[in-house]
Amino acid sequence: MARNRVAIVGAGMTKFVRRAQETAKELAWEAASKALESCEMTLADIDAVVIGSAPEAFDGVHMKSEYLSDGCGGWGKPIIRGFVGGGTGVFSAIQGWYHIASGLFDTVLVVCEEKMSSCQPHPQGAFITIFDNITERALGPNLLWIFALEMNAYMTRYGLSKRDIALVAVKNKRNAADHPAALLGDPNITVEDVLNSEVLAWPVQRLDVSPISDGAVAIVMAAEHVARRVTNKPVWVEGVGWNLDTAYWTNRDLSYPTYVEEAARMAYKMAGITEPRKQIHIAEPYDPFDYKELHHLEGLLLFDKGKASEATALGITQRDGDLPVCPSGGLLGVGNPISAAALMKVAELFWQLREEAGARQVPGQPKRGVAQAWGDLMQVGTVIVLGV
Amino acid sequence: MSLLERIAHPNQAKVWYGEIPIQSRYTVGITGERFFREIKDNGRLWGTRCPHCDLVYIPPRLYCERCFAHLEEWVEVPTTGRVHTFTVVHLDLDGNPLPEPRIIAFIQIDGTDGGLIHDLGEVDPEEVCIGMCVEAVFKDPAERRGSITDIRYFRPVG
Repeated sequence: MARNRVAIVGAGMTKFVRRAQETAKELAWEAASKALESCEMTLADIDAVVIGSAPEAFDGVHMKSEYLSDGCGGWGKPIIRGFVGGGTGVFSAIQGWYHIASGLFDTVLVVCEEKMSSCQPHPQGAFITIFDNITERALGPNLLWIFALEMNAYMTRYGLSKRDIALVAVKNKRNAADHPAALLGDPNITVEDVLNSEVLAWPVQRLDVSPISDGAVAIVMAAEHVARRVTNKPVWVEGVGWNLDTAYWTNRDLSYPTYVEEAARMAYKMAGITEPRKQIHIAEPYDPFDYKELHHLEGLLLFDKGKASEATALGITQRDGDLPVCPSGGLLGVGNPISAAALMKVAELFWQLREEAGARQVPGQPKRGVAQAWGDLMQVGTVIVLGV
Repeated sequence: MSLLERIAHPNQAKVWYGEIPIQSRYTVGITGERFFREIKDNGRLWGTRCPHCDLVYIPPRLYCERCFAHLEEWVEVPTTGRVHTFTVVHLDLDGNPLPEPRIIAFIQIDGTDGGLIHDLGEVDPEEVCIGMCVEAVFKDPAERRGSITDIRYFRPVG
């Protein structure tokens, strides 16, 4: 099937903060207008808008994309909202891609926004209904249970220690110290800080987890003939993939994200990648928890099962390592306004591949990167491969 | 599917009750801060103007939805307007009759390209008509909380 070539030509984001004074629409507008400015385009140049936002309950608004539409530049334009929970940010970029690859549109503005601070007393209240109403909710679960059970299964399967995993949190929070939009950057954080932080649901401790945040991110995508006119540094979408495992988490192998592997295989095939470990130069896997970065790196086929932690200890995943991972600082460091956090990873690859990442720039003129997000009922993987 | 149809009493179907335990705390936003402060402190209405599109937005916006310009020009607008359309509400959310019907109108604020939804007061439903000139009636300053309900209602002018 013939597909039009698609590039990312602009990106912009707000700061990620604990609680923004701006309304959700105002946050969306700030990110969207910065993205347009970055490529010297205006709203008049945009054919269609893709809006990404996670549960309605966070902002406290039903029909959230209709509510957000004017802040996302959707006035008088075709708009669509994609929603696959935490996987939404990368999925929105995939939707932007197929809007253009299909030939339907030449330019698409993709905007992801989340305002979690509206949700009181805590967004956990909104997560309660993702559990099975009949067999699980009577137990009073919260989201941390899933992560704690999964983290323990992963650690036990591969004989990993808490210390092995805490290295990821340290790396990402230190990386985020160089990100001007970051909420939790800390150049001096140590493994001991992570290991001594409050236990939430063992083995998950406070500093193993990304913070709830407010923020928005936007990218501008364009067909090849427009992209070449707009910029001399287009960043091409080379492959996309997404995949869902069973909705029953009790029917999954929690120690390995098969759905991420399937999504990655789809994206790599499209990108013509046969040896991802050689052909991928930067990775931005989804890291709402430190062990999830390791989990996802293995799902992305970048390390053998159970071996991503060893690579982390050897410094391979540092910004100046052989495979820089989350040079942005990730969700653990920059923050986790759900859909916006995952689109931030796509924006980070855009800046890195154009060598515009400033203090965060990875050395060696990277040519290809992969971003991945995960979510829904913890069983969706969304993957995008970008290259120059 | 047919099971429920054959059950005489709804409680015969096994159910489990739950709720989503959240409340929402909505920030009024960058322009909302000033809009509601003017209502609370001064009993005045302010909008923002887009110089490119020559539109005055009320409620005020931080950006023009048409051209995406950052709107920094604030303009005081009249507290008067015209009834663009209206309805007379007879039932509450639970379907119970209201003691008095409420007249709810979309009031186009004079000199702007927008308006407010609000109650009409000091007027009988049969006297209201589309195009009627109305003005805002504010609560006493001590009662105002920085909310849209600091406007008690709009009433006919003259």
